[in-house]
Amino acid sequence: MTGPSFRDIDRDDALGEAVERLYGCTRAGLLRRAAFGGAAALLATLARPAAAPAAITDLEVLRFGLRFEQLQATFYTQAEEIGTIGDMPPAERRWAQTLGAHERAHVKIIKEVLGPKAEPAPAFDFGEANETPRAFTRTAVAMEDLTVALLGGVTPRVQDRGLTAALLGLLTVEARHAAWARNIAGADPAPHAEDDAMALTAVQAAVDRTNFVVERPRMDGRAAPPFTG
Amino acid sequence: MRRRAVLAALAGATALALVAGWASSGRRADRDRPDPGRALPAPVAPAFTPGEPVALGAGRYVSRWAVVRRPAAAHAAPDPSAPVVTRLGLRTPEGTPNPVAVVARRTGADGRPWVRVRLAILPNGSEGWVRRTALGGYNAVRTRLDIDLRRLEATLTRRGRTVLRAPVAIGAPGWETPRGRFYVRNRLSRYRSPTYGPVAFGTSARSPAATDWPAGGYVGIHGTDRPDLVPGRVSHGCIRMRNPDIRALARLMPVGTPVVIG
Repeated sequence: MTGPSFRDIDRDDALGEAVERLYGCTRAGLLRRAAFGGAAALLATLARPAAAPAAITDLEVLRFGLRFEQLQATFYTQAEEIGTIGDMPPAERRWAQTLGAHERAHVKIIKEVLGPKAEPAPAFDFGEANETPRAFTRTAVAMEDLTVALLGGVTPRVQDRGLTAALLGLLTVEARHAAWARNIAGADPAPHAEDDAMALTAVQAAVDRTNFVVERPRMDGRAAPPFTG
Repeated sequence: MRRRAVLAALAGATALALVAGWASSGRRADRDRPDPGRALPAPVAPAFTPGEPVALGAGRYVSRWAVVRRPAAAHAAPDPSAPVVTRLGLRTPEGTPNPVAVVARRTGADGRPWVRVRLAILPNGSEGWVRRTALGGYNAVRTRLDIDLRRLEATLTRRGRTVLRAPVAIGAPGWETPRGRFYVRNRLSRYRSPTYGPVAFGTSARSPAATDWPAGGYVGIHGTDRPDLVPGRVSHGCIRMRNPDIRALARLMPVGTPVVIG
């Protein structure tokens, strides 16, 4: 077993479709293709000048990183507050609480680094994804895998060497999270000899497809009050 | 004998000299050999390092609410076949999204997550179960508004600490402000009605005596154009505050805040 399918872990069965569309096929298909055509493709790539990478500033990377960490931190925090994590066996509870505490630390430090350039936290709707231990665990696996892919994709893009070092520090921890989550889910902690990196835009699209990030409801109105007076 | 002693002394001196020479040549070799620690560059200093993991704070002051995302029936039990208590729409009579206070959660008879919510219906204090998918994301508040009907006083607390205390006017005899646990549903402002002051909060409380009132007699918390009547028992069930107090409340009290009237 390599792990839960992306298809059946998120609120609207959307994350799996999004990730598979991004890769253009299932992960297994991608790996098969890479195994047969990888060497030739690599030689061809090395032979021609590299295309200019999409421009992305370190600020954009950090801002996206903050939003993504907020997504994760809220997912774990909410699951703990509403009691989902409390319903789990002790070893799983410790895992979930540890990851939540790490993600909150990540949010805290990135917010501090960004200072006034930090954007307000978006609103989240996880639907049923963190309501039961099973749904929570499967979503956590996908989320941690996606985080590793995100950091693998953006870290080589940043300009500042200190920021690169900091992101690598997060990447290794997130990889531990992913392996731990997979182990908890009864999946192979390290199913492949390498991890695929994903571009920031691809991760954004995957997150969009989950519908976890929602518009904050506007609870202010201008109607004349119809109250009893 | 004497000659043997001299030879022994010479041999010892030679051995010492050899050992000393070997040792000094070793030190020279060490100096010439590159220090592996110095040959490799130190790791790049990270731009930031996260601090200690952040443990979750005490959740005893947290209340949760969510808006209705899909029109749904609220049932008497977490079971699609249980009697329907009421039907939840997407909007309040004031046109804002329709929020419900989240009280509890449970896996229902259908194996899916259900949520018990406080309902803005009569009789006051009604609750019902809705499928989790009928609601939007959870929102958390750490505030609570207490209305003391005997002392005619409102007290807003945040994380258990008082942040505002102000006098209020409440329902006159025959129009009593209902007692119970309710929640703030919306916040209205910029309307043209001096009677309600600059800001009015809608609540889930309803006046049993004012069911023929527009929109069904919901109890509001609002300002007034008659500050001289505050504190007092003068309204049709609403909770009136002086305008500076309602403005202060508007700055401090988010929608979803529990309102305890007693």
